[in-house]
Formats: sequence, structure tokens, C-alpha cells
Amino acid sequence: MDATVVYNIPHQQGLQVFIAIYFYLTGLSAGSFVISVVAYLLGKTEYKPLGKIGAFLAPILLVIAPILLITDLGKPMRFFYLFFNVNPTSPLTWGTFLLTIYPISCLIYLYYVLKGNQKMIKTFGIIGIPLAISVHGYTGFVLALAKFSPIWNNSLMPLLWLISAMVSGIGLVIFVAIVMEKVFSVSLAKFAGEMSTETSTGKMLAETAASSTGVMPLNEMLGGVGKYLAGFIIFDLFLVFSEILVLLTESEEAAALAASLLTGDYSFLFLGLEILLGALIPLFLLLHPRTSRSLAAQTVAAVLVLIGVMTMRYIVIIGGQSVPFN
Amino acid sequence: MSKGEVRYGMVIDLRRCVGCHACSVACKSENDVPLGVFRSWVKQVEKGSYPNVRKHFLPSLCNHCEKPICVRNCPTTASYRREDGVVLIDYDKCIGCGYCIASCPYQVRFINPLRGTAEKCTFCQHRIDNGVVPSCVNTCNGRARVFGDLNDPNSEIAKLIATQPVQVLKADSGTEPRVYYINPDAGAMKGGYGPDSKVHLERGRNWSLSTTEKGRE
Repeated sequence: MDATVVYNIPHQQGLQVFIAIYFYLTGLSAGSFVISVVAYLLGKTEYKPLGKIGAFLAPILLVIAPILLITDLGKPMRFFYLFFNVNPTSPLTWGTFLLTIYPISCLIYLYYVLKGNQKMIKTFGIIGIPLAISVHGYTGFVLALAKFSPIWNNSLMPLLWLISAMVSGIGLVIFVAIVMEKVFSVSLAKFAGEMSTETSTGKMLAETAASSTGVMPLNEMLGGVGKYLAGFIIFDLFLVFSEILVLLTESEEAAALAASLLTGDYSFLFLGLEILLGALIPLFLLLHPRTSRSLAAQTVAAVLVLIGVMTMRYIVIIGGQSVPFN
Repeated sequence: MSKGEVRYGMVIDLRRCVGCHACSVACKSENDVPLGVFRSWVKQVEKGSYPNVRKHFLPSLCNHCEKPICVRNCPTTASYRREDGVVLIDYDKCIGCGYCIASCPYQVRFINPLRGTAEKCTFCQHRIDNGVVPSCVNTCNGRARVFGDLNDPNSEIAKLIATQPVQVLKADSGTEPRVYYINPDAGAMKGGYGPDSKVHLERGRNWSLSTTEKGRE
């Protein structure tokens, strides 16, 4: 026998839109940092331009992110309490210190990238990778340890969060590389070189520089990175698939949530934006032999991936609170 | 629960609840709870069709859990659990991050729109410290709410729990709530919207009110 709820009070959202955007930004930062380090550490000179872009993006994004966090507080002027009243069991406390250390390590890394000091790049790259993973991984635990919504409170969340961060990070680096070369006519080959100043040079210069330093043309380079991006998208899709499948059978509330994602209020955002536009179409563009080497297709794929991951953050944070739990 | 210590708890005997919402009103007035938010409320469900119809009620409040997730997750240690089991918030330490709202499986917490800090039922801490029962218990005209020391075998609440079948909400959350229900309805215990309640509101601060209302805190 169904019971109709005649009266219940409205409850407040725990995490709001700013938090979703914040998670997105830390994901972008961590993702681009990891790419940067991989480009430098694997010694693949042809990916160095991307490595440099990543080194620039990581600290910039991480400066914006905490501003969002602080403005979201009920008492913004009290944010420094986080440093003095420490609760070691709270993931937010872990985040407080990670968010302090990580941008500093990013800036030191960027300094040595600009200096071109290979040894120090390696040192701070190796220090930075676990920091980058934890600075985004902790946000996964923020959700996994909160009991509000069944879509958060599961052990898949931190991994899903990290993989989608890699997806968005690679997407952003590809997008910025294309914009720099095509819109602002910055020669990436020169940008990656030992000279640290950003000089705008013509395409001719870029090509001569490319031939002299052995940097491959942009579309070839991005095609190679695109393969990695495709791999992460597939992994991400698999994680989302397993999450939804388990949600459907986990509990009554979880099933209601899964139904809202698949057929209800969030079906357009979830199936349309996140899965189709944000994952399947980029996957096709990156893997199909006719489009994988085309700059236009790579641009579209990068933008779609960025939109897709933001949608995914929004759906998990806001959509996760959209069905009644009490 | 070791012997000799005070452990406060509440039993809500739904055989005696008439759904008058007096506890919600008493709580609002006792604790000066702002408009739009509630520390204690009565959820109401309807079952069946005429002539076999019945309303069921579920008075809700903070469960003052033995293992509170809000306390575990609070980043500034503003949420804490007292020796006697009452879970409280230090309003001078709270930064209003909202993570405790996200952590609580019972959704009893909210950000006070005037103060900007998290808030919830305190078992009327100011009253029980002076030997008086909480306001909702005091006002309940059916005597459905019983408050007392769970560790004292002679207290009314301990006798009720010992002799009656009791239930807690969302026992699978592993929080060990200290608010027990006698005779709750399954339909009322599971999640549900009311007809005109959008369940999850954006929390925000009412900055225009905060200056004028500050003096009353």
C-alpha cells in the first residue's frame, strides 16, 4: 500500500553549484598537472609544448578554485578557522592542507619549467603527482564519506572523480594548445623551447622551429594525446555504467535516483550532455582515422569533453540531491 | 553505554501522537528558529482510500547519534558530542561550509539564514542542563514524546525501551541513533516529498535581516 506524503518540510542542499564548479576546477588542475609531468618525465620531446601548457594551467586554476569555496561558506570570513580547528577525520581538513601545499608545489614546478632545469622539473614533478592526485582525490572522498545521497556514498566515487579529472584535464590542454596556436598564433614549438618568453610568431617561424627542435605538427601531436584521452573516456564510461547499474539495485532511494538520471528530470543532462555529447561523440572523433588527425575535430572533441565533465559534476552534486531521502 | 553515565535519549510513542504539530511550534518558539527552517517537524503521510483511510505521523528531530557522521566530518570541530550523548554545534567555530548537512543521513541540519552557521536540534540543551525536559516533550499533549536518561533503569524512557518494540530511523547508516520510535509507519519512514515542498532548497544567507536580528542571538 502506497503512502502519500501529505506534509514534509523542505530540506536544504548540503553542497551547492559552487562546489560542483570547484570540483571541476580542481579536476582540471590535477589533470593538466599530471599531463604536464608525464610529458616531461617520459622524455617525449614532442609532447613538451603540452607539458608547458599544463604547467601554466595547474596553478592558475587552483587559484580560482578556493575563492569559490570560500564564497560558498555561510561565514566566509571564518575560512582560516580550518587551519586552527583541525579535525583529522574530516576530508575537508585533508583538503585544507592539500589545497595549501599543492598550488605552492605547482608554482615551484612552473618556475623550473620556465627555467628549463630538467633535474628539478623531475623532482617537483614526482613530488607533485601524488599531491595532484590527492588534491582531487580528496574531493572524491568528500562525496564518498557523506551519507546524504546514495550516488555519493559509494567507494567508486574517488576513482570516478579522478578518471573524469584526467579526461577534463587532457581536454583542456588540447583546447588551450589549439587556441594558442590558431587564435593567438603562438608557436608551440618555440613556446616549449628553452626560451621562456611567449613571443607571437608567424606560422612560417613555427614550422622552421618545429623542424629544428624535432617537434611534430600540432595535429599529429594532439592525435597522439587524443588516444590517451580516448582511453580515459572509455574508463570513465565504464565507471559511470557500473555506478548506475549498482544504483538501480542498491536501495529504493538509489533506484529512484538512477531512474531520475535515466528517464526523469536529469535524463537530458545525463544521457544527452554527459554520455552522448560529452563522451560518445568525442570518443568517435578521437578514434576514427578520418577525424583523429584533424584539428577541427580535435577542437570539437576537447570542448565537448569539457562540457561533458562539467555536466557530470553538476549531475552528481545537484542531481544527487534531487530525490527525497527523508 | 557504560553504567553510571548519563546518556540522554528520546522515545516517540506514535500510538499516542495525534499529529497536532505542537512540538514543531514549541521548538520554533523556544529556540527562535528562523522562518523556513525547522529543528523539529512532523512528517505526515496518508494511506488507503475511504472508508479505510488513516494518517500517520513521524515527528523528526536530530537523532543525537552514538556515532554521528556530522561530528566525524566537521572540518573545524564545531560539531561535537557531549559526554551525555547530546550532539551540539559550537556556533563560534562553525564556518557554515554545509558539509554536515551533506553528511547527515537524517537531513536534520540546516544553515541558519540569519547566523550563517549550521544548526539543528540540541535536545534543548539549555533546558536539560537545568533539569527540565526539552520544549517539545514538555508541550506534547498526548505525551507521545518521552525524554530521559537511557542508562537509568528506573527512568520512564528506559522502561519503555525495555518493554516495547522500538525502532530507529535508517539503522543501516551505522550511526546508532538515540531517538527511538514505537509503532512508526514504513511509508512515513522512507523518503517522500510533500505536495508543496521542494525538498532541497538552496541554502543562503539573508544578509538584510542579519544586522537587525543579531542582537537577539
